[in-house]
Parts: sequence; structure tokens; C-alpha cells
Amino acid sequence: MSALTRPWNNLTLVGKVILPLLFLVLVVGPIVTVLAAVYVAPLVVDILASNLGIVRFVVAITAILLFSIPAAFIIIYMELKVIAYMNTRVGPNRVGPGGSLHSVVAGLKVLLKEDFTPTSADAIVFTWAPVFVFLTAVMTFLVLPFGPGLYAQDLNIGLLYLFAVGGMTVVGLLIAGWSSFNKYSLLGGLRSAAQVVSYEIPLTLSVVGLILLAGTMSLNQIAENQSGGFWNWYVFRQPLGALIFFIAATAEANRTPFDLTEADSEIVAGFATEYSGMRFGFLFFAEYVNVFIISGLLTTLFFGAWNAPVPFPHIELSLDPGSLGIMLLILLAVVPLILTLLFALPFWLTQSRMPGWQALILGFLAFNVVAVGAVLGLAYVGFDWFAGLVWFMIKSFLFVFLFVWMRGTLPRVRIDHLMGFAWKWLLPASLLNLFITAIAIVVLKSTVIP
Amino acid sequence: MSLIPGLGIVRGMGVTLSKFFAPKATIMYPEQPADVAPKYRGRLQLLYDEWGTLKCETCFQCAQACPIECIDMGGIDTKGRFHVHWGPPETYGERREESAIRRSGRTVADPGFAHFEEIDLAALDEILAAHDYDPKDTLAILEETQAEYGYLPVAALKHISRMTGAWYAMLYGTASYYRHLRFEPPSVTTAPRAGEAHRADEAAYRSALDAALGGAASA
Repeated sequence: MSALTRPWNNLTLVGKVILPLLFLVLVVGPIVTVLAAVYVAPLVVDILASNLGIVRFVVAITAILLFSIPAAFIIIYMELKVIAYMNTRVGPNRVGPGGSLHSVVAGLKVLLKEDFTPTSADAIVFTWAPVFVFLTAVMTFLVLPFGPGLYAQDLNIGLLYLFAVGGMTVVGLLIAGWSSFNKYSLLGGLRSAAQVVSYEIPLTLSVVGLILLAGTMSLNQIAENQSGGFWNWYVFRQPLGALIFFIAATAEANRTPFDLTEADSEIVAGFATEYSGMRFGFLFFAEYVNVFIISGLLTTLFFGAWNAPVPFPHIELSLDPGSLGIMLLILLAVVPLILTLLFALPFWLTQSRMPGWQALILGFLAFNVVAVGAVLGLAYVGFDWFAGLVWFMIKSFLFVFLFVWMRGTLPRVRIDHLMGFAWKWLLPASLLNLFITAIAIVVLKSTVIP
Repeated sequence: MSLIPGLGIVRGMGVTLSKFFAPKATIMYPEQPADVAPKYRGRLQLLYDEWGTLKCETCFQCAQACPIECIDMGGIDTKGRFHVHWGPPETYGERREESAIRRSGRTVADPGFAHFEEIDLAALDEILAAHDYDPKDTLAILEETQAEYGYLPVAALKHISRMTGAWYAMLYGTASYYRHLRFEPPSVTTAPRAGEAHRADEAAYRSALDAALGGAASA
């Protein structure tokens, strides 16, 4: 035994920690892995396979939570940059290429700030209100179809679910204002509740005509109804409905010119006055996620969802990399090398002052650009869901750009004008749209299809 | 108020979109310093401290360093009289005389500028009258003065200062900021162009050389 204990005693403390860990990782780890793969894995796969709905839900909700944060970051960056460009400024340009990491650093800054709770605020409600607001925003992603087959749940009452969950944001704003123990926060919360509730009605009524036309509330089905060219999009059959939806959704997401809830240049942030640190960050994340959601909704409901404006002839690709066998490995090893050298050659030949290693780096970069381009192109042609995702993102971010553009242009409306506009103009207009659609459907059905 | 509702919004959006593609006004300051003429020395200004007292101690270091003697020192005493605190106290009598002349409305011969050349001020007076002696038109006045005299003579600047009420230091600072304004007459010596004769008698010299060498020099 002394043969073992003597070297053990000679080890430092770090060595005494690392050596058992090494033993665990190198010896116990593989054994446990093999045993798990043989005995436990089939069981787990069986359980997962029998509960495929739940698995799909959990995977989707994780993906959505992970997606919402970069989406918000991109929108924040877009907002900073686009408004700066419209003010003939350059905007953020210090962090990352073109300032593209600015919003990430801003997020880190929010994380590092002091998270302050006012004395005699209702601490539990105060803490959970931002989570509530953020979750209602993220939960609406659940029924949004990003592409053919790329949705978390295909609810047959998708639109109803969307408005129900989206409407719960009001509760979050109210409890945020109320629990701050500050009369101005409370007033701000009430103000935003009044605005959001008022605009909820024309927002919901404006799509009823569309539901009559589509005959379904499933967003997936609505998206499929609009396939085959831009002339099938619902915006051409429901122009008034689309306009009302656009205006009401702007007010729902508290965007300029209807951003009375925070009105950052005129009053303190309303219901968010007492919030600081990451809780404040969550409230604002929710706002930017909401911007993406209303853009995605506009795309899905009125602008053809994932469908390309002009239908793209479907090409069946029969690529089977597995059939190459061992040749695939050799190809994967050799092709990058050869292509890198090939792309480096023109730089090396034409730029006599450039050292060889620089030409190699440029060649490698060129190879990467070409390879990524080729892979994305193949994916676009070969996978319907990828092409759909590309079109959905392009359209959605065009609408995000429109919202940012509006923020860079329009002044804020007065609060009484805001409420008057909702009740005196948008509500009658959406009812008119509904009646006209209903009458048109009845007349057309009775004459065209007897 | 237009007849078509929402037209104003559309036009406003058009304005912002055109600005989106317009060239940007931002100057990347630390990397790209402001483009300033090398002769520029900034604008002269006296600073006050937090109690409202003039920070200047009349040490005359700035006046001695000033290359064109545009800095002069003086002030109004408790009885509203103008004094130039130049040098030791025994010179005050001389300055008081000057002050009396100035207050009587006559122009004071300024010894600080005496050694600069005199110019004919009639043309400058016309320019000043055209601009109504308004110091807001400083740049236009300076440009027209340069167009008239070919440069900005010290006497002209002094005269502009006297007639418009703008400080000489401000005029000098403004003039030195712009690259196209100059304080010296443009150079008259022109360098010979390449291939031109360098000496006045070059042709005669060449023909003599040709004659001596039998036509070899011109070949």
C-alpha cells in the first residue's frame, strides 16, 4: 500500500483534486456511457416517443426562448442604427464590426446594474411582473409558423390563443405599475392599460373578416391558404382590415406614434419608473419581442406568411452523402484544402508584395464564403422549411424596419387623440370591414356557388 | 392640411427615408481630427472664475508672445474710464492722454500697429458701408477686403475693428480659421517652369556656345 500512498502524499492539493477527476472522466465515464446506451437509452427513447407532443413542445419552447433574445438584440441594434441613419448620424460604431455587438454589451450592462426594489413595494409581485410581461410576449411565439412545419403547436384556435395571451400583457403592465408603490407608476400602468385594452378591440375585430375568408383560426392553415404567388395574399382581399390591424398592432406594441405608455422623451417611463437592472431589461426585451411578434403576425396574416412572392419551381434534390461511404471522409478532408489553395492562388499571383500566409488566410476566407453560400443555396433549394424561414424572416424584418422607420419619423399623439382614434375611427372601420366581408361572402356564395 | 388623409405622414416618411441614404454628418473625432488651417490659433477669449472675477492678471505674457501684436490690455476703471495697463505706472499719463483722445471721438494712433504699412481706406469704407458696419457680416467683409487689396492688411483689420466694433482678436481669429484668407500679399516670384530658360541671357549664351562648338550644343 505504501507504494501507492507515497506518490499520493507527494501531490499538491490541485493534483489531489485533478487525479480523481481524471479517473472518473477516463474510466468511469465511458463505462457509464456504454451501460446507459445499452440499458437506459431504449427506455428513454420509448418514453419520449410515446410522449412526442410534450417533447416537441419542450424543444420548441426552448428554441423559442433562445430565439427571442437574439431577435430582441437585433431589433434593438436596428433601432439604434436605422434612427441614427435617418438623423444623418452614424450611430453605434465602437463595439464589434459596425457596432453590431452594441446591444449585447448594453444587455450585459443591464445585467451588471443594481437591481433595486423600493421600500414598501410589493416585492413578490414587483419581481414577477417583468417575468409575466416577458413570458406573455414569448408565449405568443408558440403558434407563429416560421416556415412549413416550423411551428411549436398548430392550434386550431391559434389566432384566439394569440389574442388571449397577447391581451394578458395588460395584466403584467398593471401589476408592474401597482406593485411599485409609486403613484406615478400606478398612473402610468393605468394609462398603458387603457391604451392597450382600447386597441385590443379593433385589433381583434380587424381579423374577423380574415377568419371568415379563411374559414379557420389556425395560423398554419391561414399561411397555407396564401400560397402560390403574392396575388393570393390576404392583404389584397382585406386591405382595410390589414390597415386597421397595422395601426392597432402599433398601439398594442407601444410603438411610436402610440408609445404613450413610456413616452421616453417626455415623461418618466410610466409603469417602469421604479424598475432597474435586469427587471427593467426584461420589460424592454418584452417590448422588442412584441415588435417582432406583430411584424411576424402581419406577415403571417396578410402578407403571405412563409410563401415567396412569386412561386419558386420546386426542384427535387437527390443528394445522398451516405452512399459515398469512406470517400465522403476523404472528400471532407481534401476538398477544403484544395479549394483554399485554389482561392489563395490568384491573391498570391497578382499581389507580389503579399506574403504567402496572408494569401492563404484570404483564400481560406474566400473558401468559407463560397462554402457557406453553397450550403445555404442548397438548403434553400432543397428544403421547403428553409426557404419558408428565409422568406418569413425577410418579410418580418421589413416590417420591423417599417416600425423603426415610423419611430424615426412620426411625433407622438396626444392621449385623448389616441383614445378617440381607437373608439371613433378604428372600431367603426373594423366593423365596416367585417360587415362588408360577410355580405360579400354571402352574396358570392349564393351566386357563384349555388 | 391636405385633402388626402395620411398624405402628410407619407411625405414625412419619404423625408426620413431620403435622409437614411444621405451622406452622414458624423465626424469620427479621435481618429479623424477636425480639418483646421495650420495658421489657426483659435479665438481669443478672457475667462472668468467661479466668483465672476477676471482670471487675467495682466502679466502681458500673451501680448509679448502674440506674433502680430493683436493682443492689447486695458480696462474700464471704477469711474468708467478706459485704461490700458501697459508697462510700469509712470507710462499711465501717456495712456490717459490717449484715452482722452479716444473718448473725444478722434482716432488714436496706435503705436502697436504703427510699423505696419498704411493703406488707402476709401475702398474698405465702401465695403463696410455696404454691410452697414455689421459685425455679423465679418466673413463677407473680410472676403471682400481680400478681393480688394489682395490680402488682409493689418491696417484694414484694425479699421474694420474700429468701425464695426468687433474685437481685433475676433477678426484675426475668424480670418485665420479660413484657409482662403491670407495676411501676406501672395508671392510674386514665380519659379521657372521645366524646360524654360533659367537665365535671362540663356538664349544668347546658347547661341554663343553653338557658334564656338560648331552646332554641337543644340544637338
